[in-house]
Amino acid sequence: MALYIVRRLFQAVVVLLLVTLITFALLRSIPGNPAVAIMGPNVFRDPGAIKLFDQTYGFNHPWYYQYLLWLKQLLRGDLGYSWNLNQSVASLLGQHLVKSVILVGFAVILAVLFAVPIGMAQAVRRNKPTDHFFNGFSTFFYATPSFLLGILLILIFSDKLGWFPAEGPQGEGVTVIFQNFNAMILPIATLTLITLALFSRYMRSAVIDNLTEDYVRTARAKGVSRRQILYRHVMRNSLIPMVTLLGLQLPQIVAGAVVTESVFNFPGIGYLFYTQAQKQDYPTLLGIILVVSLAVIVGSLLADIAYAVLDPRVRY
Amino acid sequence: MANNLPTSANLPPSAIVPPSSAAEAHEAQIAAGILPASKPRSAFRRGLEVFFENRLSVAGVAVIVIMVVFCFLGPFFYHGNTSGVNFAQETLPPGTGHPLGTDQLGQDVLGRLMTSGQISLTVGIAAAVLATVMGVLWGSIAGYVGGVVDAIMMRIVDAVLSIPVLLLALVIVAMVTPTETVLILVIALTSWLSTSRLIRGEALSLRVREYVQAMRVMGGGSIRAVLRHIAPNAIGTIMVNLTFQVADAIGLIVVLSFLGLGIRPPEEDWGAMLSGGVQYAFNGYWWLIIPSGACIILVITAILWIGEGLRDAVEVRLQRR
Amino acid sequence: MAPLLEVEDLHTEIRLRSATVHALEGVNLTVETGECVGIVGESGSGKTMTALSVMQLLPPGGHITGGRVTLDGQIISTLSDDDMRHVRGNAIGMIFQDPMTSLNPTMTVGDQIAETVRIHRGASKEKAFDRAIEVLGLVGMPRPAERVRAYPHQLSGGMRQRVMIAMALACEPRLLIADEPTTALDVTIQKQILELIDDLRRQLGMAVILVTHDLGVIAGRADRSVVMYAGRVMELTGTGRLFANPRHPYTEALFEALPEKAAESTGRLYNIPGQPPDLTRPPVGCKFAARCRYAQDQCRQQEPNLEESSGGHVYRCFFPVGLASDDEVPTPAVATAEREGADRAVKVSDAESLLSIEHLVKDFPVTSGAVMQRKVGSVSAVADVSFSIQPGQTFGMVGESGCGKTTVGRLIVGLERATSGSILVDGEDLAALKQRARRRRGYKVQIMFQDSYASMDPRMRVGPILREPLAIQHKGGSRRDQQAMIDAMLDEVGLPRAAVERYPHEFSGGQRQRLGLARALMLRPKLLVADEPVSALDVSIQAQILNLMQDLQHDLGLSYLFISHDLSVVRYMSDTIGVMYLGKLVEVGPADSVYYRPVHPYTKGLIDAIPVADPQLERATREKGVAGELPSNISPPSGCRFRTRCPYAQDVCASEEPPLRPFSLSGHMAACHFPLRAPEPEVAQAAVSA
Repeated sequence: MALYIVRRLFQAVVVLLLVTLITFALLRSIPGNPAVAIMGPNVFRDPGAIKLFDQTYGFNHPWYYQYLLWLKQLLRGDLGYSWNLNQSVASLLGQHLVKSVILVGFAVILAVLFAVPIGMAQAVRRNKPTDHFFNGFSTFFYATPSFLLGILLILIFSDKLGWFPAEGPQGEGVTVIFQNFNAMILPIATLTLITLALFSRYMRSAVIDNLTEDYVRTARAKGVSRRQILYRHVMRNSLIPMVTLLGLQLPQIVAGAVVTESVFNFPGIGYLFYTQAQKQDYPTLLGIILVVSLAVIVGSLLADIAYAVLDPRVRY
Repeated sequence: MANNLPTSANLPPSAIVPPSSAAEAHEAQIAAGILPASKPRSAFRRGLEVFFENRLSVAGVAVIVIMVVFCFLGPFFYHGNTSGVNFAQETLPPGTGHPLGTDQLGQDVLGRLMTSGQISLTVGIAAAVLATVMGVLWGSIAGYVGGVVDAIMMRIVDAVLSIPVLLLALVIVAMVTPTETVLILVIALTSWLSTSRLIRGEALSLRVREYVQAMRVMGGGSIRAVLRHIAPNAIGTIMVNLTFQVADAIGLIVVLSFLGLGIRPPEEDWGAMLSGGVQYAFNGYWWLIIPSGACIILVITAILWIGEGLRDAVEVRLQRR
Repeated sequence: MAPLLEVEDLHTEIRLRSATVHALEGVNLTVETGECVGIVGESGSGKTMTALSVMQLLPPGGHITGGRVTLDGQIISTLSDDDMRHVRGNAIGMIFQDPMTSLNPTMTVGDQIAETVRIHRGASKEKAFDRAIEVLGLVGMPRPAERVRAYPHQLSGGMRQRVMIAMALACEPRLLIADEPTTALDVTIQKQILELIDDLRRQLGMAVILVTHDLGVIAGRADRSVVMYAGRVMELTGTGRLFANPRHPYTEALFEALPEKAAESTGRLYNIPGQPPDLTRPPVGCKFAARCRYAQDQCRQQEPNLEESSGGHVYRCFFPVGLASDDEVPTPAVATAEREGADRAVKVSDAESLLSIEHLVKDFPVTSGAVMQRKVGSVSAVADVSFSIQPGQTFGMVGESGCGKTTVGRLIVGLERATSGSILVDGEDLAALKQRARRRRGYKVQIMFQDSYASMDPRMRVGPILREPLAIQHKGGSRRDQQAMIDAMLDEVGLPRAAVERYPHEFSGGQRQRLGLARALMLRPKLLVADEPVSALDVSIQAQILNLMQDLQHDLGLSYLFISHDLSVVRYMSDTIGVMYLGKLVEVGPADSVYYRPVHPYTKGLIDAIPVADPQLERATREKGVAGELPSNISPPSGCRFRTRCPYAQDVCASEEPPLRPFSLSGHMAACHFPLRAPEPEVAQAAVSA
């Protein structure tokens, strides 16, 4: 098991390095003068600044040298500076990241909590009305783009029924979120429903597969009741592929968060990304990409470890 | 079926000794080889049958066909004002002359729906096809060659996959001016990865199938293996994947346009229509978002149904025993 | 005394979407306390369905539609699922065929055993756990207190089956149903498990229903036997009587299709023509009539009822065979395991060997490592094997899992590259050739797989499948000539020419094996490697294929390397037999010589372990066989690899590997320090005079 973790860790590091390479490549492929790109158009007024910039960032050196310089920078925690917002990218992220984590965290937990029983119920009552109902439900939410879902939810619950506000909780800090938790309901609901649609389908097919396995027949031959078979044998074995799915779907979920935040004006890093993309604030954009990718890689690693914990065939 | 079986009535009842002459042995053996009286159906046709038995898949195909006709042929029959701003007519509700009302620029919604649909569908399908081609190439090389090459290629895939597609697309789009072609490229570039992983898995598993091994014993080489055995058997999976890619691509272009970073005015696709109409919708101007929203949901749902039908059809072929 | 289990006129149906399968129609049988009843039949006979019906564990769509099942006087066939739960695992235990998939991979073995105890006895966690350890000890698991925390994948096949048995016995059932309990296991382990079941039966006073397709298993273990065909009981009587005096034509035909019977008379196997009937549209009249060599009109119009002879011999036939009274049957002389007599004429190497293997070695690397996959060891799959095959001869290779016989076959046809050694075909060393040259020259040696379905591209029709070898090797000339060759080959293997239009999946198992043969022979090879060619087939179909292979050998002058775990089939087909163990060839020689006068203890153990369809012989070999488990071949035992299981092992066996040395002039060789008999005197003389 230790060996497995070490190997996965190593793979994760390699992937992370590749991500930095890709991000760096993106950085270098921004059209036009890099100084302008990083520092904004006003820099033309000050030729000295451009020269300084080139030296600091090593643009007069070969690209691999620049890459290493940049990497060194990253390791020091310096993600660059957003001239547009006049803040270091790191501090920007610090402010906004937590909020997104809360949003995504709630959504994922809720999605899993609902997906497991729904998937099991569908599998057990396969091809019966319950199954068809939830199938339709999950197809609809899977097909609807997240922003559309958000808009629809706002229309119904905010506009028409007036239950919840149309905007996510604004303001600095985390406490603001919990004070205005009302405003979190719709964004969380949007993200949850999208994720739930996929997860419940997966759970359904995992449970169906497991129900036809030989060990279920053995359990019945031992006199175990159908209920006990479902909860004690099948459920656990079905959760294993779900864990893998969670790891794989993290990027999608984050993308969904970006859109949801934009729709609800929720000041997380997704919203930050959206606004800064319109302003071509590349340092911020790339900083976010790095952090998000890191989060995804770590999440994926954790998922794999959880998988090893659940499945003894991997462990021993 | 019982009447097809060879009858021992040909042999005398007292014959205890099995047929000893070569001719009788031969006859008995041929009799043993009588086939069931079924029409030979190719795997492809069998798959088609299963596909069309699935009502949802058929419905999906119907919806897509209708949608394509609507978007591409509709404008020949229906001439709404789809270009040119006319503020005098802005945001009129559905009524005479404008079955779905007009939008915030005074343009006819129904007409706009068709032209926008052309763009959404075209970009979606083109991007998906391109992504699939790239993914198949990358994945099959990695899967078939294996070893270090495979490891490197797949690590690259892992890395890019760690970056949410949307973010990557947004960054690239921020850098370049998005024409329709550019958008197709961008979406394809960010989508080919999952296909490559899938195809690599297929290539890996198909490579060790026993029929590929049998072919090797006969003296066949790698090229024959890939062209004659692996590729045809992977086509089913590729088709299914392509279908889901189209759904994803349409979803992506719509999101990009909604965020203002996709199709730029005066061109519009369904996402842009939604983005334009959102503000107004909250004040009751529902016709500015419901039609385009409905189109998006319908098209993607239809594609999903087709994809699932295809998946079942492919699996049936594989499991035929 | 009333029987423990009574099955009366049981009817079972399986309702599918398109049709209804009449799986069982009127099955009757009884099981007394403490006896072992064997149900034997081929696929589709209904034997498993009977077992499942008793337990009410029918597959989806399955229903009992008539008759009843009584256990200890209580009717259980009409119990609700909830009530039946209390019977399953409690009064009746059941074990299945494949212990790997039949155990939950994510639960420890102990938990799975304890589960039964907790459900039926309401025991606490600790008590149930203790009971699990106790039962594991009962089934012969070494170090039960340790093993109880193991997961199924950590145990070997035999161990897993012991766990299954432990689970079934934990609540001391009155009846144990065993559905093909040993089919997935190695022969020597098979014997251990069957012994175990027998011992437990006596110890616990339990009755056993043994469901199997293997007549040898029935011969050795069952007190009474039931022969089923197409969902009906065809014959039922004491086992001894069944084998000595079969009354039903099907039973008789089955015996004649067995290789072990034919080998003794060196005759052909009786080939039961046709296939079992389609149970969605069962034929009128006797279900076996279509394939019965004695069938008359009455048989095809009316179905016979079960008749009972005075001695309690039950059969369902209008025109039974055999002797009317079992008492008149002469008790056959106990077949001696050793037989004097000349070896079958063996053509010793006056002809140039067709295939000559010399010092063949194949190691598979075992990789591990966090960063890079480093080689940490190797599996010694084939460790220095040498033998030869003469033209027109059949060399049979036997051994259990991990012995390397399949790898040898794959090495010969080029699916693996040898680590070292030479493979000489017609004097040319194929192992030394480079990839491309190997592909071109390799046509002389072809392979036939065990599962012809998996070995054919499901998207290709038969025509292209058979044409492919010709296309690859650029043989056969024009399209029309190739087509003629294909047609001729189809005739040879007994398939209609119309088959070219069909897909492999449309054929039955036996027909697919014929296709496999046809394809392998398209290039007119000189040597055909047949890797378990009949292992997946029913006995009656098996006979067809074996006869066909012999005919082809005769017509085309083929040689075979016949790889199988089934020693009786190998003995029937082979001129020479080679016995492999953990990558080593431990004994090789003329077939009769090896079989009747084995030299190596492993060979003897293997021969004793294989169930033979002869009750008296089975009884004689009851205590024999091979003890212990197969060691892993990543680090095989030093010196002689068999020493860990050998009753005659001494110190020298650990330090020195015994060489393969001759024991007779006919080419019988073995590698053992303490062989079962001394080399014949002529050998020593030949060595002296050489």
